[in-house]
Amino acid sequence: MTAVDRAGRVYDRGYRPYDGELGGRAAARLALFRASVRRALGMRRSWRQKLFPWVLLAIATVPAVVNVGVAYLTRDQFEDAIEIITYREYVGVSTALLVFVGLTAPDVICPDRRHRMLPLLFSRPLTGADYVVAKVGAIAAIVFAFGFLPQVLLFVGQMLVSDAAIDYLTDNAEVLWQVPVAVALLALYYASLAVAIASFATRRIVAAAALLILLLVTSITAGILAGPEERHLPGAIDDGGSAWAAVNLLAAPLHVRDLVFEGEIVDGRLVGVAGGPAIALAVYLTVVGASLGTLLWRYRWVEA
Amino acid sequence: MPSRWPPVGERLRDVAALLETEHLTKTYAGGSVRALDGLDLALEPGVTGLVGANGAGKSTFFRILLGLTHPDSGTARIGGVDVAGDPVGVRSRLGYMPEHDCLPTDQTAADVVATLGEIAGLPSRAARQRASDVLDLVGLDEARFRPIEGFSTGMRQRTKLAQALVADPALVLLDEPTAGLDPQGRHEMLDLVRRLGTFGISVIMATHLLDDVQTTCDHVVMIDAGRLVASGHTESLLHTTGVVRVDVGLHGAALVTALADRHPTLLTDGTVELAVDGDDDLDAIVAAVADAGLPLHGLTSQRSSLDDVFLADHQQRTAG
Amino acid sequence: MNDPALDPAFVDDATVVVDDVSVWFGQKVALSELSCSFGPGVTGLLGPNGAGKTTLMRVMCGLLRARRGGARVLGVDPRQSRDVQAHIALVPEEDAVPEALTPRQLAEYQATLGGVADRDAVERALAAVSLTDVADRRLGGFSKGMRQRAKVAAALVTDPRVLVLDEPLNGADPVQRVALIELFQRLGAAGRTVIVSSHVLHEVERLAERVVVIVHGRLAAAGDHRAIRDAMADRPRRVLLRSSDDRRLATGLLGLEQVVAVELAGGGLTVSTGNAGDLALALPHVSRDLGVRLREVRALDASLDSVFAEVTR
Repeated sequence: MTAVDRAGRVYDRGYRPYDGELGGRAAARLALFRASVRRALGMRRSWRQKLFPWVLLAIATVPAVVNVGVAYLTRDQFEDAIEIITYREYVGVSTALLVFVGLTAPDVICPDRRHRMLPLLFSRPLTGADYVVAKVGAIAAIVFAFGFLPQVLLFVGQMLVSDAAIDYLTDNAEVLWQVPVAVALLALYYASLAVAIASFATRRIVAAAALLILLLVTSITAGILAGPEERHLPGAIDDGGSAWAAVNLLAAPLHVRDLVFEGEIVDGRLVGVAGGPAIALAVYLTVVGASLGTLLWRYRWVEA
Repeated sequence: MPSRWPPVGERLRDVAALLETEHLTKTYAGGSVRALDGLDLALEPGVTGLVGANGAGKSTFFRILLGLTHPDSGTARIGGVDVAGDPVGVRSRLGYMPEHDCLPTDQTAADVVATLGEIAGLPSRAARQRASDVLDLVGLDEARFRPIEGFSTGMRQRTKLAQALVADPALVLLDEPTAGLDPQGRHEMLDLVRRLGTFGISVIMATHLLDDVQTTCDHVVMIDAGRLVASGHTESLLHTTGVVRVDVGLHGAALVTALADRHPTLLTDGTVELAVDGDDDLDAIVAAVADAGLPLHGLTSQRSSLDDVFLADHQQRTAG
Repeated sequence: MNDPALDPAFVDDATVVVDDVSVWFGQKVALSELSCSFGPGVTGLLGPNGAGKTTLMRVMCGLLRARRGGARVLGVDPRQSRDVQAHIALVPEEDAVPEALTPRQLAEYQATLGGVADRDAVERALAAVSLTDVADRRLGGFSKGMRQRAKVAAALVTDPRVLVLDEPLNGADPVQRVALIELFQRLGAAGRTVIVSSHVLHEVERLAERVVVIVHGRLAAAGDHRAIRDAMADRPRRVLLRSSDDRRLATGLLGLEQVVAVELAGGGLTVSTGNAGDLALALPHVSRDLGVRLREVRALDASLDSVFAEVTR
C-alpha cells in the first residue's frame, strides 16, 4: 500500500501585518467626525443614550406634523391652506434643539478631556484644526439634520395636501434654498458656540449649564437694554427695533435667518432688513469666528 | 531581527537605522529646565529600553518623536524621515501607549480600539478586523465586549497597548507599560513586549525599572538630566566583575575557613564571596566544597546590573 | 492550629497585631479572618491586585473598621485612641496631594495635626527624604516620585513607631528608588516597624527581612521567603547548572535518587529534585567524579518572584 502523502501544518496565529490602505489626515478627520456623530446619537451605546436625541427629533417634528395634519383635515373648508407655521418661523430656536445642542456638544467634547484621551487622538494623523473641524462639524451636521428633516416633512406634506402639488412646488421654489441655508447657518452658529464653551469644561453638566446661562443672560440683557417693544433689530420683519437686540446671542442667528428669507439685493447692496443686516451679520460672524478661534487655540496641540 | 519599516511615500530611504537624533535639545521655562540637552542617539530596530532620572526628558522625547513638540535645536529621524518635516506622516507609522489612564470608560474595549483604528486611517472593516486581532494578541477575550469601566488595571493596560498596535505601526512607544501591575501582570506584559519584538515591531519602552529592561530589551538607552548616559546592547553594558558568590546553606563559615587563602568574605545572608581568575579557581572552589562535605546550593558569577551602571554614572555626575 | 509562638505569621516583639480581621463591602469580601502581626524592621506586604492589602493597611491605621475582629497598635485599638494614632502613619498609594502646597507646608500641616511642637521635626523629615533643597516649591510641579517622597516626609514628621506605606516606590525613577529603599532600611534598622507593599519583588527582597502574602483576603504565606520556599516541600525544586559538559553531567545526575527530571535547554541544564539539600550535597562529588567543571549553580525558584508566583497560583 502506498503511503498517502498527507501533510499537516500548524498556522501561526501570532501576528498578521496590515498591508491595506492607510488613510491620512482626511481619513482620520472623517473617522473622528463619524465617531462623534455616533456618540451624539447614542449609537453603539445603551438604549438610554439613544432615547434622548431621538425623542428631541420627534419633538422638533411635531409642528410640521401638526401643520400638515391641520391643513389636510381642513383642505376642503378653506380657500388657502392654513399655515400654522411658516418655513421661516420653523427655522427657529426650538427649545428641543437648544437642549439637544446644550447636552450633546459637551458629550462629544468633555469626555475626551476628562478621560485624558487627547494624547491618544493626537498620536494619530490628526492636527488640532482637524479635531475642531470634526467636532464642530459633527454637532452642526446633527443640528442641521434635526432642523432640516422636519422642514422636508412640512414641505412634502404641504405639497401633497395642496390642490396641485406641482403648483405648490413652483410657488414656493425659493424655500428650497432658503431653508437649507438658514438651517445650516443656524447649525453652524450653535455648534461652534456650544463646542467652544464645552472645551473649557471637563464635566458635561458644567458645560451645558454654561452655554444655557450665557444664552439666557444675553437674551435677557438684550431685552432689558432694548426695551420691551424693541426686541428685534431695526428694520427686521416688523418695524421699530433697537440695535441692542444684537446683544442677544440666543437670537443672533435668527436675524441672519431673516436675512436669508427676507433679504434682497438692490443696487448691489443687501437690503430688506434696513439698518439691521450689517449688525446681524457682524454679530453672527463675530460669534462664530470667536468660537472657532477659541477652539483652535484650545486645541493647539503642536507647540510652535 | 527583521526591520519592519515599510516605505511611506518616497522619502524613506535608510531603514537600517530605526531612530537617530542629532544634538536634540529642548528647554522649558526660558532655558532653566533642560529637558533634552544635546541628545545624540542611534537606535537599531528591536526592543529598546529608555531609562531616565528626572522624568521630564523621556516625556519630552516621546512628544518630539510624535511631532507634538518642536525641539529648540537638533533633529530626530525615524526610519530616515525627519520628524520635523512631516510630523503627521511619521505619526501614522507610530503607536503610542501613554502612562496615564486615557480610555473612555463608557465604551467597550472592542469599540474603543476599532474607533481609534479608524481615526488612525484604517477603513472601517479593516479597523474592526485589526481591533479583533490586536485584542487577541494582548489577551483580552470576552472582556473586550464589556465597558472599560469595570476593567482591572491589567486589562486597561492591555487595551492601551492594543490601541497602540491597531494600525500596525512600525514603532511603538510605551510609557511605563508595567505601572500598577502586580507581579503576574508584569510578567505577562513584558512577555507581550518581547513578542512584539519577534513580530518585527520595534519598541521603545520607557520605564523606571531597570530590571524590566534587563529581562526584556535588546538595547538600552539611559538618559540623565537630558543627556545620554549610556546606550547599547543590554548584554554589552553588563560585565562580569570577576567575583563569584558561593551558597553553601548554613555552612558559610566553614567554607570561609576552607578557602582562607583566597580571602573570601562572608556576607550577611550566609553566602561567601571571593575573587576568581579563571576556570582553575572555580574547580578549586568546587573541590573545597566537596572535600568539606558541604552542600553546593549556589555558584554564581556576580555581574553588574543595569542598576549599577546607571547609579554609578549618576553619582559621578552629581558629585562632579 | 498553629502555635503562634512558632508561626512565622506572628512575631514576638509585635507592635501591630491583626486579630481575625474580616472586612466586606457589600458582596465583596476584602479580608477574611486574617491574623498576623508585625514588629520592628521592614516587612513586605505582598499580594496580587485586589487581594486586600490596602484594606488591611487601612484597618491597621484605624481608618476602617473591621466587621469582625480588629487590629491593635502598641496594644491599643487605633480606632478608639487618638494617642495611638500618632504612633502609626500611613502613606497611601493615591497620588492625591494638594498641588498648591509645598513639601514643607505639607509636613508642617501634618505636624500641626499630630500635635508636634518641635519645629525641627519638619526639617528632619525633609532631610530624611532629601527634599530640603526643593522644600519650598509647589507639589504640583513635582514628578510623581518626588511627590511620594513629600508624602513620606509628612508621615515621618510625627516620628511614628509604625510606618505603613502603600506602593511607595510608584513612579520613582531609579535613583529615587534606591534612595527610598535605603531610607526604609535605615528606619527599620532603627527599630521602627515599617510595612511596605510593592509589586516589584526583587526590590522587596532587598528591603524586607520578612514578607506577608495575602491572596483573596486571606493569609497565603508569611516569613522569610526562602523559608517559605522550603515549606512548599511537595513541589520539586529546580536548579540551573552550567558546566563544561552539560549532557554528561545530566546523565550522571539522573542516577541520583532524589533527581526527578533533567532538562537540557537554553545553554544549561535544569534539574528538578524532590530534595534540594541532598542534591546540593551530591553535586560537587558527581561533577568531580565525572570530570565535569561546574561554572554556575543557581536555584531557579529561590527568588521572591518565583516564590510569590507559586504561592499565588
